[in-house]
Amino acid sequence: MSQIETTATFTKPGTLSIQNVSKQFESDDQEVSALAKINLTINPGEFVIFVGPSGCGKSTLLNMIAGFERPSEGTILLDGKQVTKPHNDRLMMFQEHALFPWMNVIDNISYGLRWKFRFNWKKRKQRARELLSMVHLEQFEKASVHQLSGGMKQRVALARALAPDPKILLVDEPFPALDALTRQKLYGDLQELFTRTGKTIVSVTHDTREAACLGDRVVIFSGRPGRIIKEIAVNLPRPRDFNDPEVGRISESIMAELQHEK
Amino acid sequence: MKQKAPILDKLYVALFYLVLIGGWQLFFSFGKIPDYIFPSPAQVAVRLYEIAREGLLWPSLKATLYRMGAGYSIALSIGLAIGLLMGVSHIAHKCAKSLFLGLQTLPTAAWVPISLLIFGLSDKGIYFVIIMSAMPSVAIATADGILQIPPIYIRAARTLGTPAYAMPYRIVLPAALPQIITGVKLGWTLGWHGAVSAELIKSSVGLGYLLYMGRELNDSPQVIAIMVVTILFGLLLDQFVFGVVELKIRKRWGLEKERSE
Ligand SMILES: Nc1ncnc2c1ncn2[C@@H]1O[C@H](COP(=O)(O)OP(=O)(O)OP(=O)(O)O)[C@@H](O)[C@H]1O
Ligand SMILES: [Mg+2]
Repeated sequence: MSQIETTATFTKPGTLSIQNVSKQFESDDQEVSALAKINLTINPGEFVIFVGPSGCGKSTLLNMIAGFERPSEGTILLDGKQVTKPHNDRLMMFQEHALFPWMNVIDNISYGLRWKFRFNWKKRKQRARELLSMVHLEQFEKASVHQLSGGMKQRVALARALAPDPKILLVDEPFPALDALTRQKLYGDLQELFTRTGKTIVSVTHDTREAACLGDRVVIFSGRPGRIIKEIAVNLPRPRDFNDPEVGRISESIMAELQHEK
Repeated sequence: MKQKAPILDKLYVALFYLVLIGGWQLFFSFGKIPDYIFPSPAQVAVRLYEIAREGLLWPSLKATLYRMGAGYSIALSIGLAIGLLMGVSHIAHKCAKSLFLGLQTLPTAAWVPISLLIFGLSDKGIYFVIIMSAMPSVAIATADGILQIPPIYIRAARTLGTPAYAMPYRIVLPAALPQIITGVKLGWTLGWHGAVSAELIKSSVGLGYLLYMGRELNDSPQVIAIMVVTILFGLLLDQFVFGVVELKIRKRWGLEKERSE
């Protein structure tokens, strides 16, 4: 098992540019304005967190970056190329793990490689194993999805999302269903993976402390229609401890902004 | 406890059948029905042995199983394809759902007259009956299964880069598999009904034919013996072929909780 020292390689992360993006939904001849004039540039290798009141359009923005939705106005560019549909350059990790129950753990992780690299079966398996070891679940290679705990499922989902080497990783509230201790362990894992792979990550959370612990930059949204009201840079060294008082202090300032908004 | 329970269960089942056959024997002994109409279990067993020894049983069983194998494979392919189309196309679903539900209510034997008209006495007609009997339930189960797929699997598949052409066989059908397999089982049962019904009328070999011959010759032990064989093989395949596949799928998905009684 300790043979797996050859670390999986990852390529250059991408630059994401969100330009004047607005989004309206039409439902039953009623128009809901979810987002208004969002301008944001996310640099290569940056960990950006979206926070904001419920319904302000955070998931909508993430869905548009992933390509599941199109902006009503404005454009989203990844490395200068306009985003129009889902692509494994921009991989999304969901709130519910969304692992495929008809595949075992290793097949779930290697699934995305099929559409990315011209790998044969053996090479796919090898890279999947490397990612599995990065989330410390080597011994669960052949397990069924339902045999894993909630935290383990999310770690497998993380490995699956990173395996095809996306330019940017999108994470929509991945941890709320977990207990506090499991979450804190996942924060550790996520930071380790972030440092190791150098990925650009955009993540949504409701937890201001989580935002302060994970983010290089925290983007705060207003209530619907969502606008960016403030960006807070977090310049603490990594790995950060969830219970670090410095993290707490920044968490409080994010909270203050949010309450001010309400 | 866990070790003991299945053995005990089997014992009860064995006992149940013993009582059933005993009741049959009693009914035979004290009933006033002549034995050429209502035979005893022993007469049926002896007749079954004779049919087997005369070399009638095995070719007939083989013929019926072969027809089912071929006919049902076709029914399965068509049913899956139509179900897939219904599952992904809203319009196809709207149009075809009521038709297939209607076809499903038609007794399988009701396909026999039309198959006679179209195909005459050829074997093709039997295949036709099997396909028409089995296919609707496969199609409906597939379509329903697909419509119930949690959208998040589709989105995960898309974000992972699954191209459109690969969606059906990599994601959609596997995700709907637990529902599809119930349709596959039901389809098998209905196809089996259809096969035997069709053989009653239009063949010179097969379980249905042996039933028909038994009736022609007023040989009620043969009729009951063949009925027992038909039930046995229908059940055997249902349990040991489809049942095992279904259990495997349900275990992989974690749908089958370990029984704790
Ligand atoms: N497909 C849709 N059709 C119509 N309205 C939608 C759709 N998706 C989102 N909305 C609306 O857009 C607004 C923003 O939704 P979104 O899910 O992006 O919010 P959010 O910030 O992620 O909220 P939460 O923090 O609760 O997850 C909401 O008012 C929602 O009702
Ligand atoms: Mg959301």
